[in-house]
Amino acid sequence: MLQRFLIAWLLCLPLTAQAAVFYPQDYKLDNGLELIVVPNHLAPAITQMVWYKVGSSDETAGQTGLAHYLEHLMFRGTSTMAPGDFSKIIAAQGGSDNAFTSYDYTAYHETVAADRLEMAMKMEADRMHNLQIKPETAVPELSVVLNERQQRTDNDPEGRFTEKVRNTLMPNYPYGTPVIGWKAQIEKLTAENATQFYGQHYAPNNAVVIISGDVEPEKVLQLAKSIYGVLPKHEIPPRQAFGQAPMPERHSLVMVDAGIEQPQLELNFVVPSYATQKAKEAYAYEVLGEALDGGEVGLLYKSLAVEQKLASGVEAGYDPDARGPAIFAIALTTRPGVDPKVLEKALMDKLQALAKTGLEEKTVKAAKERMRRTAVFARDDLMMPGYSFGMAITTGHSVNDVEAWPDRIEAVSLAEVNAALRDLMANPRTLSAMLLPDPNATQAVKEAAHPVINHDAGIR
Amino acid sequence: MRYFIAILLMGLIVAGNAHATTITEVTSKGGIKAWLVEDHKLPLIAAEFAFRGGVEQDPVDKQGLAHLTMGLLTEGAGAYDAATFQQEMADHSIILRFGASRDVLMGSVKCLSEEKAKAFELLHLAVTAPHFDKSEVERLRSQQLSGLKGQLGNPDWQARYALFSQIFATHPYGFRSLGSIQSLSSLTEKDIKGFAAAHLAQDNLVIAVAGDITPVELAPLLDQVFGQLPKKAQLAKIGEVVWPAKPATILVPREGTQTEFLFTMPGPKREDPDWYAAEIADYILGSGGFSSRLMHDVRDEKGLTYDIHTGLSPMDYAGVLIGEAAADNDKVGQAWAIALETMRGFYKDGATDKEIASAKDYLTGALPLVMTSTDKIAGVLVDLQLKSLPRDYLDHRNDYLRNVTKEDVTRVIHKWFNPDGLTLSMVGKPDGMKSTETKDLVHN
Repeated sequence: MLQRFLIAWLLCLPLTAQAAVFYPQDYKLDNGLELIVVPNHLAPAITQMVWYKVGSSDETAGQTGLAHYLEHLMFRGTSTMAPGDFSKIIAAQGGSDNAFTSYDYTAYHETVAADRLEMAMKMEADRMHNLQIKPETAVPELSVVLNERQQRTDNDPEGRFTEKVRNTLMPNYPYGTPVIGWKAQIEKLTAENATQFYGQHYAPNNAVVIISGDVEPEKVLQLAKSIYGVLPKHEIPPRQAFGQAPMPERHSLVMVDAGIEQPQLELNFVVPSYATQKAKEAYAYEVLGEALDGGEVGLLYKSLAVEQKLASGVEAGYDPDARGPAIFAIALTTRPGVDPKVLEKALMDKLQALAKTGLEEKTVKAAKERMRRTAVFARDDLMMPGYSFGMAITTGHSVNDVEAWPDRIEAVSLAEVNAALRDLMANPRTLSAMLLPDPNATQAVKEAAHPVINHDAGIR
Repeated sequence: MRYFIAILLMGLIVAGNAHATTITEVTSKGGIKAWLVEDHKLPLIAAEFAFRGGVEQDPVDKQGLAHLTMGLLTEGAGAYDAATFQQEMADHSIILRFGASRDVLMGSVKCLSEEKAKAFELLHLAVTAPHFDKSEVERLRSQQLSGLKGQLGNPDWQARYALFSQIFATHPYGFRSLGSIQSLSSLTEKDIKGFAAAHLAQDNLVIAVAGDITPVELAPLLDQVFGQLPKKAQLAKIGEVVWPAKPATILVPREGTQTEFLFTMPGPKREDPDWYAAEIADYILGSGGFSSRLMHDVRDEKGLTYDIHTGLSPMDYAGVLIGEAAADNDKVGQAWAIALETMRGFYKDGATDKEIASAKDYLTGALPLVMTSTDKIAGVLVDLQLKSLPRDYLDHRNDYLRNVTKEDVTRVIHKWFNPDGLTLSMVGKPDGMKSTETKDLVHN
């Protein structure tokens, strides 16, 4: 029933993604490719996911959007396959395929009948090594990407707000730049740029292949050796370091837009990720997130929506799979008629009070138990192993880290959760952001109004 | 992401399984039936069920009622107040959800098998003894109002609403599932109680279960959960949709950089003998992703859109073919001209043998691939029952598709795919497009 909004980078995966205990087989081929196999015999189907350890945070200055553009071009032909044939061949088997790009990774996936695994592996191996980017397909594909940016961001006030929030929270920082890129820079990307980026980053020794479904691990390994194992490895440039964390500044941001009818507010904190944590505090933040959110039993929903009647939706979330810092976010929808500033104050008061008194033992225990149990649910899905292992390994974690997740959550103490909350409240890298309707907009004005903040041309 | 996976209306994916999935019919002592796929590989149970009669059952001035009522079922029932009910769900890791679509009220439960007693107890209380307490009604009303206001700012919703209010006019399919600001605020506890009492019954109920449970375990649970429901639902009679005599081109002016557009015309219903041929034709034209003609012509060749697709929506009282896309304001005219040319060519020349073969390959091959989790399996089983398809349907479904001839596809294209019948709805500031009518953005 909660209104899900805004935190797109949390939206892509629920927190349960890491919850799994998949009992995988993990192999490393001689050319450096990592292969993970998770048998699941519920249906005669398999999902293959191929993750590359490259994303928008690996782009060079002035070429934002290149990793995502290359993702599109991966479907536009190789030396052995015509543009567009990849998806048609998968579809001809009844299968489905897609891909996505994020800050730290780019992933491709297919779901096909289990006896078509070899075909799917051959196709991914082919474009891992033989991609051909030609101007006649690269040029219209760039228009497609620009259309995608228009549809998801420029023409959508919530999309613009999300972009602005990240950019304000992490200015001049890889995670502050939109994955899809700034429009003016996308427009200048070329087939040559993409070919060069592909040559640098796409190789078996920079890839993780996860196969889940109706398979036997040993047989998959033999197939992988003969299909992926023959591809040559090459030197991969070291990944760009993140440098100093973003400036410690408390920001606030208000965006007013005539297209918005429902006030929304967010509180964002830059916090450690799995990769940057010093003493397992990422796991404490995860438990804190579950205790604060947790649907209708979460502390914030109970306080702000049920008791104080100020919010109609409450979400708290944290995605610790990142090479650099992570974001802990709380997103609220105001109850109609409530001043968003009143809700914001109530949120801060509640968080401060909780930080002062500490959470109760039983609240933390229940949150941990809910999280532990999500592991079983995660196994009832062919995509989940790929998401969990792919996100972990491309951001510097390992198979063992994923498998140990329930134990590490279990090991988080009440004191650690309370310390995480106190750290959050003292965190100077904070952004409070509101997306508000235009109070002066009459119907006519609403139709003619431009958003107050418009980052069409924003180049950082 | 490379493209959106969108489900239009309540698109029904009827799937099957070349690999033998045994569907058992379980009948309780009290005569309540459920379809079951038993599978003990994971310690999980998923149940899906539906009551026939959905948003269409809202009174015209009480739109939003079905949605609000279903949301309240998990907000206090039996001996549990709302907070306790939610805590019980959370503490036992039970996912229990209710919702309303055009033709049905839906529910689902997913739980660890060791928690099934608690899960079915909560489900039983939710459907037979919900409280509908005033404070919970107000809280969920405000949530629904927030959701409704969120829709109002969404160009995609605006385009959909403009289109549906045009083609469905006063038919309940034109209703807004969340209601309007006015209708939502007028709903009373009496309305909600009355709706639940009239619509949650045994004779309009279908149930499907998958996972770690045996028929012997399931049978008594059916009586325990649903046995106290009224035998007969009191459903308002809904008429068939009568399409407007003339297609229209609707413009809803909105500031922004892009125009969203939706297009629609009548399509076959699920029981139509043309159904399988129409699925094949629709795949070739627009639902086949990167294999479709529209995607090829408008996106791949010209780069004019990020996504364009069509889909068939077979509902109880209308069949609909619907498509959607978005393009930059100054390119809409060009994008639409190309899309129309593609559709005219398809209507005039039909599909090639190769396209028909590819469509059959996809549609038959996709069968086992949609049944990859316990809840997806249960979902398919509910859909089959709602469409009154037999329990062995999945064993034959691929043959029905394979038996479609080129003549069948040609006939269906001539019957259903004439683009002259399209009604188009645009939200934005499209250049080079003439509209027959202009509607205002909906603000309430």
